[in-house]
Amino acid sequence: MSAKANVNKIWAVISKQKAVVAIIALMVMMLFFDTTFYTPYNWLDMLRSTAILEIVAFGVTVAVICGGCDLSCGGTLCLGGILAVMMVNKGMPIWLAVIAALVSGAVVGFINGFLVVHQKTEPFIITLGMGMLLKGICQQLTDAHPLTCTSLEFMKLSNMKFFGTVPSLVVYMLVLFIIFYCIMRFTSFGRNCYAIGGNYEVAKYSGIKVVPIKWAAFIISGTVSALAGVLLASRMNTGSSVYGDTTGMLVNCGVVIGGTSFAGGVGGMVESFIGLFVIQLLTNCMNQLGVDGYYQRLFEGILIVIIIASDCFGRKLKRERV
Amino acid sequence: MTKTKSNSAVEFLKQNLVLCGIVVLIIVTAIAEPKFVGAANLNNILRQLGPLPFAALGMTFVIIGGFIDLSIVGIISLVGVVTIGLIDPLGQVGALLAGLVLGAFLGWLNGFVLTACGAMTQAEVLFITYGMSSVYTALALIYTKSETLRIARSSKPYTIFTTLGSGNIGIIPIALIVFLLFLILMHLFHTKTIWGRAIALMGGNKDAAYLVGFNVKATMRLAYAINGLMSALASVALLSRVTTATATSGAGYETNAILCVVVGGTTLKGGKGSVLRTMLGVVLITLLGNCMNMLNLSTYMQTVMRGTVLVIAIWLDNRKEL
Amino acid sequence: MEKTTDYILEVKDICKYFPGVKALDHVSLSIPQGVVYGIVGENGAGKSTLMKILSGVYEKDEGTVIFNGETIEHTTPIQALRRGLSIIYQEFNLVNTMTVGENIFLGRFSENHGMRGTHKKAKELLDSIGSSISTTSLVGDLSASEMQMVEIAKALSFDSKLIIMDEPSSSLTSEELKKLGIIINQLRDKGVSVIYISHKLDEIFEYCNIVTIMRDGCVIDTKPVEELTRSDMIAKMVGRTIENEYPPRAHFVGEPLLEVRNLNTNKLHDINFTLHKGEILGLVGLVGAGRTEIIRALYGADKVKGHQVILEGKTVKIPTPKQAKQAGMALVPEDRKREGLILPFSVESNITMASLEDLTHMGIVDASKEADIGKRQIESLAIKTPTPETKVVTLSGGNQQKCIVGRWMERNPKILILDEPTRGIDVGAKYEIYVLMNKIVEAGGAIIMISSELPEVLNMSNRVLVICDGRITGEFNPEEATATEIMDKAIG
Repeated sequence: MSAKANVNKIWAVISKQKAVVAIIALMVMMLFFDTTFYTPYNWLDMLRSTAILEIVAFGVTVAVICGGCDLSCGGTLCLGGILAVMMVNKGMPIWLAVIAALVSGAVVGFINGFLVVHQKTEPFIITLGMGMLLKGICQQLTDAHPLTCTSLEFMKLSNMKFFGTVPSLVVYMLVLFIIFYCIMRFTSFGRNCYAIGGNYEVAKYSGIKVVPIKWAAFIISGTVSALAGVLLASRMNTGSSVYGDTTGMLVNCGVVIGGTSFAGGVGGMVESFIGLFVIQLLTNCMNQLGVDGYYQRLFEGILIVIIIASDCFGRKLKRERV
Repeated sequence: MTKTKSNSAVEFLKQNLVLCGIVVLIIVTAIAEPKFVGAANLNNILRQLGPLPFAALGMTFVIIGGFIDLSIVGIISLVGVVTIGLIDPLGQVGALLAGLVLGAFLGWLNGFVLTACGAMTQAEVLFITYGMSSVYTALALIYTKSETLRIARSSKPYTIFTTLGSGNIGIIPIALIVFLLFLILMHLFHTKTIWGRAIALMGGNKDAAYLVGFNVKATMRLAYAINGLMSALASVALLSRVTTATATSGAGYETNAILCVVVGGTTLKGGKGSVLRTMLGVVLITLLGNCMNMLNLSTYMQTVMRGTVLVIAIWLDNRKEL
Repeated sequence: MEKTTDYILEVKDICKYFPGVKALDHVSLSIPQGVVYGIVGENGAGKSTLMKILSGVYEKDEGTVIFNGETIEHTTPIQALRRGLSIIYQEFNLVNTMTVGENIFLGRFSENHGMRGTHKKAKELLDSIGSSISTTSLVGDLSASEMQMVEIAKALSFDSKLIIMDEPSSSLTSEELKKLGIIINQLRDKGVSVIYISHKLDEIFEYCNIVTIMRDGCVIDTKPVEELTRSDMIAKMVGRTIENEYPPRAHFVGEPLLEVRNLNTNKLHDINFTLHKGEILGLVGLVGAGRTEIIRALYGADKVKGHQVILEGKTVKIPTPKQAKQAGMALVPEDRKREGLILPFSVESNITMASLEDLTHMGIVDASKEADIGKRQIESLAIKTPTPETKVVTLSGGNQQKCIVGRWMERNPKILILDEPTRGIDVGAKYEIYVLMNKIVEAGGAIIMISSELPEVLNMSNRVLVICDGRITGEFNPEEATATEIMDKAIG
């Protein structure tokens, strides 16, 4: 009996920290291979590669904590990048271009918020449709051709290095991480988000302004996605309508893998960071081991199915216990 | 009596706003551009129908059952490449049948995974089927190594596929006849058989259907298997027309299929709807595309239009009463 | 006008109507400062509705509420809290995913200068009621009694003058209950009034100063607790004049039909009973006692730890409702809209859905036979619907219920299980359902009926089993037993 209880306990801990377990397993596995995995350069590179997705995830996490979801973030990212490049190419100052891109993201978030929070539609399906719409807009804007940026200054945004070694993207990511961490942890807005996601009715009865706050969460998600889009465009020195095709699903899956649940109210920035890092780590390991790109995609798909399905399964067990 | 009649007309309008909107648009185009109703264009439209109606037909059952399926992208791609690959070893008929069986199996597999982990909400279903889709697409990539497979590569004449793809009886394309056959079959399946009823009852109220003695899990797997089979048909229709298949040829079909179903008036809440309505949705969406061609709008603008219609349709669907 | 603020809360002539039901009928209460005020009544007496009106979840239809000397026309839950009126619901208004401290100050994060201030103040509040719960633990991990402490601390944080506790003891152990008693006394000493709602009369006698007894949405009596005895109180709770609401009792009890042995689940303990042919067996108990769980387990709808069901002398396995149906059982569930009907579907499909298999030949449903069934049941049960194709959602509650009964009548079930068959339906429809029940037993079927309305059970059934806390605590012959005796067993 006590052995069984112990097993249950261990299982409970593991199921809460799926992502951490996965990271440790991967790191242990890599010890047995002679690769460049354990070099500072590799880790810095991993951070840089994952930075854009992480930034998108920070915004999306706010929406997910509120009990929502934003699958349109890929489209918003794409749109933000293209707008910024177009405006810079027209000779506008970079700061203005960035602001314009952010506003576009905010507008998308506002519309999502209207449909989901105000009109009470199912966030998953409506933001999926929104993603498709944005995709079309991006293709229309660029005629489906990549749009090269002519400004060297703009390119520098994401490609420079601080202190000679640290890529600027990593720095942006860390700064945003800290900002969002503090917002969600230490402000009444952040705490109210948790309350809304945790139990909408109780939050409403406790006098929390549920509609504006949840709506704002969607606007934040949109804005941050657009910011990530600008950084991606700067990194690639291009705005293109093919960016962000899989971002929406990948980021949302990463958020869930980290432990932020779609039921809302649980998780946070640390969890989301880890969740997306797992995906990057898996890719990196497979690269290091020379796994074929197609097989990488296969493993990624299997990983998503396993993680989300085990999440469902946990809820099913809980339902049946009552 | 007349009053109740006008009331029911208003009611019909309310329930089918999107549908009516598109009809108005088409009428306006027909008046503005007389070529639109010309015989050449009508023939063109019939040809354009292509694989989408099959995909939408299958999706109808999943949505009537109260769920959704994003994995048809992967199913269409994988079935396409496997069917072409099997032509040489199995012959045409064998390859065709094998492709259909594979499609039904992949669909059933979706249902199996979903029932095994107890996925109940649309969010869970959405993400798991997305993950399954990546798995199927990755398998297709591994199978083809990203190459385009061609029917005509071999020297034998592949009559079945070419007849399906471009044959005519009179002026009516054979593909259309095959489709109409399946449309009738599926309509009868939905309205006349106990399995079709079970799917609808499950979509209407899972708990009630369960307590009345329906095997809800088996019904769910059935709905997904049908969707898989119809996706396989869509895949065959596609490869017969273009005589090639790639690992990504299914891209975009999931959103388009959902679009047709929702525009036709089948509600995402489950339970209510019909394959005939979906057919109407398919025709209208195809006509809409044709309209926009006539008005010289770019294909990208068409994506924007479809996305907008999808978002609006979902929004209005959510506002419908029971 | 003189000062009347000896009373913290005065309620005058409150009425509340729900479609088809008068939930509250001119209810008046006056609650003095610094007392523990008990409200007792059966399920559905209107206690919860009254509380929801006071807290602003429902709007009242008539009457006045005076709280702390201030007439209150319209209120929202948060306004009520800020005025000093808190309610602790049975199912707790807490966010399970957040910490204790944050739950106490939910929505007031900035008023308390952030996380540190929140936890500090929360700790002070918890200390003041002698609770040692860590303010940083998650509410979802707490036991029911700890959650109650958090709710009390939350109420105190608003400086509440009146705390309403709705069935506070329902999920507490006796040890925890003692602790709650101490806290209630503390609150009273501080001058806080407490409204204590419960079916459990022992607690009422132990804690309360004044008691109001409610029945059918009316106040029956209000007295200081010393002037009442236990049997008085029960008599007033159940005492209903029995009119001609019921058809004559059926007497068709025959040989044993179904025997259930050792039914155990997480909530049920050692349930054993026998059902006879032609018998109407009543299951009585308070809400949450485990009545619905028993029949769901029997019907195969929930997982069971291993039990034996003997039907007509043969042991049968019923793992799912499908097998239950094949064995000749039928269930009319408690929640008509959530578990019984498919609301957007037609009356006909709702009636025929249980018999579809019988109409199916090679997978094809015979539509004309289906229409026949629909028509036959609509006629024989006198379901008032414009056409068989009308959506069932548009029907009245009574007719909706008849659709579900009709669905099973078509199959001539051996055992019909009715869970609250007459809830929320009008008197005429109730009578028709009673007549139907008699017809079924006359034809040799057996009925298990769950009901919260004691008179209904007493007048309809041949035998009554009383359930309390997942156990069968009594068996009565309703022709001899009184409502008081049964209630006594149900209260435990």
